[in-house]
Amino acid sequence: MKNTSRPSKNPPKKSLKNSTVQISCALLIAVVAVAGCAKPAAAPPVEVDAGRVSTLPAGPADAAWNAAPVYAAALLPQDMVEPRLLEPSTASVNVQALTDGISVAFRLTWADDTKDDLPGAGRFVDACAVQLPAAASANVPAPQMGEAGGTVEISYWSAAWQAIVDGRPDTLAAIEPRAAVDHYPFEAASLAEGSKEQKDMALRYAPARALSGAARPAAGKSVQDLRAEGPGTITPATETKSAGKGVRDASGWQVVIVKPLPDGLRGKTRSQVALAIWNGSHKEVGPRKMRSVWIPLALGGGA
Amino acid sequence: MARVRNWQIDREMSYWYPENRPRKQFSAIFDTNKCIACQTCTLACKTTWTSGKGQEYMLWNNVETKPYGFYPLGWDVKLLGKLGGQQWKGARYEGRTIFEAAEGGERVHGWRPEEIDYAYPNVGEDDCTGAKLERGDFLTLPHNRWFFYLARICNHCTYPACLASCPRGSIYKRPEDGIVLIDQSRCRGYQECVKACPYKKTFFNPMTGTSEKCIACFPKIEIGEANQCFVNCIGKIRHAGFVSKPEEAREDNPLDYLVHVRKVALPLYPQFGLEPNIYYIPPIHVPRPFLLQMFGPGVDHALETYRGAADDPELTALLSLFGSTQFIVHRWKRENDTVLGFDEKGAELVRVPLREPVHIREAWDSARSIARVNIP
Repeated sequence: MKNTSRPSKNPPKKSLKNSTVQISCALLIAVVAVAGCAKPAAAPPVEVDAGRVSTLPAGPADAAWNAAPVYAAALLPQDMVEPRLLEPSTASVNVQALTDGISVAFRLTWADDTKDDLPGAGRFVDACAVQLPAAASANVPAPQMGEAGGTVEISYWSAAWQAIVDGRPDTLAAIEPRAAVDHYPFEAASLAEGSKEQKDMALRYAPARALSGAARPAAGKSVQDLRAEGPGTITPATETKSAGKGVRDASGWQVVIVKPLPDGLRGKTRSQVALAIWNGSHKEVGPRKMRSVWIPLALGGGA
Repeated sequence: MARVRNWQIDREMSYWYPENRPRKQFSAIFDTNKCIACQTCTLACKTTWTSGKGQEYMLWNNVETKPYGFYPLGWDVKLLGKLGGQQWKGARYEGRTIFEAAEGGERVHGWRPEEIDYAYPNVGEDDCTGAKLERGDFLTLPHNRWFFYLARICNHCTYPACLASCPRGSIYKRPEDGIVLIDQSRCRGYQECVKACPYKKTFFNPMTGTSEKCIACFPKIEIGEANQCFVNCIGKIRHAGFVSKPEEAREDNPLDYLVHVRKVALPLYPQFGLEPNIYYIPPIHVPRPFLLQMFGPGVDHALETYRGAADDPELTALLSLFGSTQFIVHRWKRENDTVLGFDEKGAELVRVPLREPVHIREAWDSARSIARVNIP
C-alpha cells in the first residue's frame, strides 16, 4: 500500500547510532533551510472534501486517491448508550473521499496491529462504517445512529466478510481448522448433494440463514447497507447497493466504501459524514466501538 | 433501570425493563436425585436442534457433575467470585443481583467465555469430593463422599439477562408462554447475551453470525406436548408445565404445588436475580452450605419435605406424575392410590398408581415343574 497516510500508533524509535545522528542533523539543517524559503505548510483540512471525478476508484490502491485530501478524524469511545466502550482503542482514522455526483467513495485508513477476521465464541472481527444523513436538513440527525425522524444511512464493512470475498471458504474448517465433525444429518448419503431436499434440511439447522437475517451480507459483498433511527435500530436496507474492499498490511487497514448518495443528498453540495472503527482483538463489536462526531462533507460542487 | 418485584429474592430489584410478566410462564421441575447423567436429554436436544454447521459445540441441554463439572468451564464459580458476598436474611437476598452489580457502561454484570472454555464439556464428570472443595477426592467405603448431576437448559427467566443485555432488542419473551427467544432475523451476533447470561445458555454461531439458544421446543409446547429433553428422559426426572406468581398459585397446578405450596423445588442461583423458571429438587446427600449457595435459603425446608415424601400421599402422587406422559399436565388430583393428570381443557391425560403393583411369583413353578430364574 503506497501513498498511505495511516495514523501512527507508535512513536519513532529513539536508539540511533552516532553516525546516523550526525547525518540526520545535517539533513535536518538542510531541510530547515529549504523550508525557510518555501511557502508555509497548508493547514490541515477542516472537512472531508469529496472532489469530483468521472470514475470512482474501486479499491484502496487506485491512483485517484493520491490527490484526495486527507482528513484526520479523531475518534472517541462510544459512551452514550450501554453497553459502552470503556477503554479507548483506535485514536483516529484518516479519511478521503471522491464523488461522481451519484455515489461517494470513502477511503478509510487506520492503524491496527492485529488482523481479526475470524468470528467465533468470544472472538470479534475488525470493521468500519461510514454514516450519512438520509436527507440534507438544517437539523442534522444525532451523530450516533440518528434519531426518530432523523434517519441515517450506514455502510458497514467487515474484515470477516472481506476474507470470504477474497477467497476464504465459508466453511467451519476455515474458521475452526482443528474441528472434527462426525456427521451432519443433512449430509447423509441418502440425500443427493445439492438437492433441494438437502439444502432445505441444512437450512432448518441454520434459521438465521434461512431468514436471510441481519447478521450476514449479500453474497459476494464485504459491505452491508443499513438504515437507523437511533441506537439499537439499525436494519438492513432493502438492498445493499454499496460496494467495498479492504486490504491490510502489518500496520493496519485501508478500506474503500463506495456508497450511492442517499436520495436526500442528490444534488447537494454539503452534508456530514460520521465514521466508526471496531478493533476485534479489543473485543469491540456493536455499540462497543470508536466513533467520530459528524464531520462536514463537501460533495464536489454538487450534481 | 426499572424497579421490579422478584419473589425468589423476596424484594424489589433493578432491571433494564419494567416488569412485564407473560400470560403464562413455561416452567419445569428437575429432580436431581433421580438423574443418572445418561445424557439422553443432551442428545435428544442435540439431534433435534443443534446438528447444524456452527452449532457443533452448542449444548442447549447439558448434564454436568457438580461440584467440578461445568459447561462452559467455570460458568457459575466465575460469576460467584465476581459477584462477591451473597448474603441472605431469611428469604430476602441482601446482596447484589447481576443487574445491580453492573459496572458503569454495562447493562449486566457478566463475563464472556473464551473458545477454550467450551473445550471440556465432560470436565469433572463423576469426580467426587469431601468436605473441602479446593481438592478432589476418591471414593472409599462406606460411601462418604459426594457429587451430583445437574441437568441444565435455558431457564426462560422472568428477568432474562440475555434480553436485558441485547442492544438491538433482538431477544424477546413470548407473552403467551414466557419462552425466551432470539430473533434470528434481527440478531447481529454481538454476543452481549453470551456475556450476560449467568447460566451461559446462549451460544454464538460463527457460521450464521448470530447467537442461538434453547427454544424450549416451542413448536411442541404450542400443541401441548413436553420438550424433547423431557420426553426422552429415561430417569423421568423432569416435569414440564406452567408456574404462577406466588400469590396466584393453584394447588391443582403441579408446578405451583411443588414450587409454591410445598416449596420442594427451588430456583438455580436465585441470587443472580433473573427469577429463573427451571426449578430443582436439591440432592439429599450434598452438604447444605453448597446447596444453600446454589439453590438459596429454601434448601432445608425442601429437603425435609422431600425426605418425607414416602409418608406424604400428595407429594408421592405428584412425584409419580414425573415422566408419565408426553403431554403437559396443567392440573392434577389424587384419587386414593392413583394420581391423575389433565390437560389445559380438563381432559384426562394420564393415570398413575402411587405404588407400582407388585407381583410375587413363587420360586418353584409347580405347573411346569421347574424352578424360576430370578430375572428382575
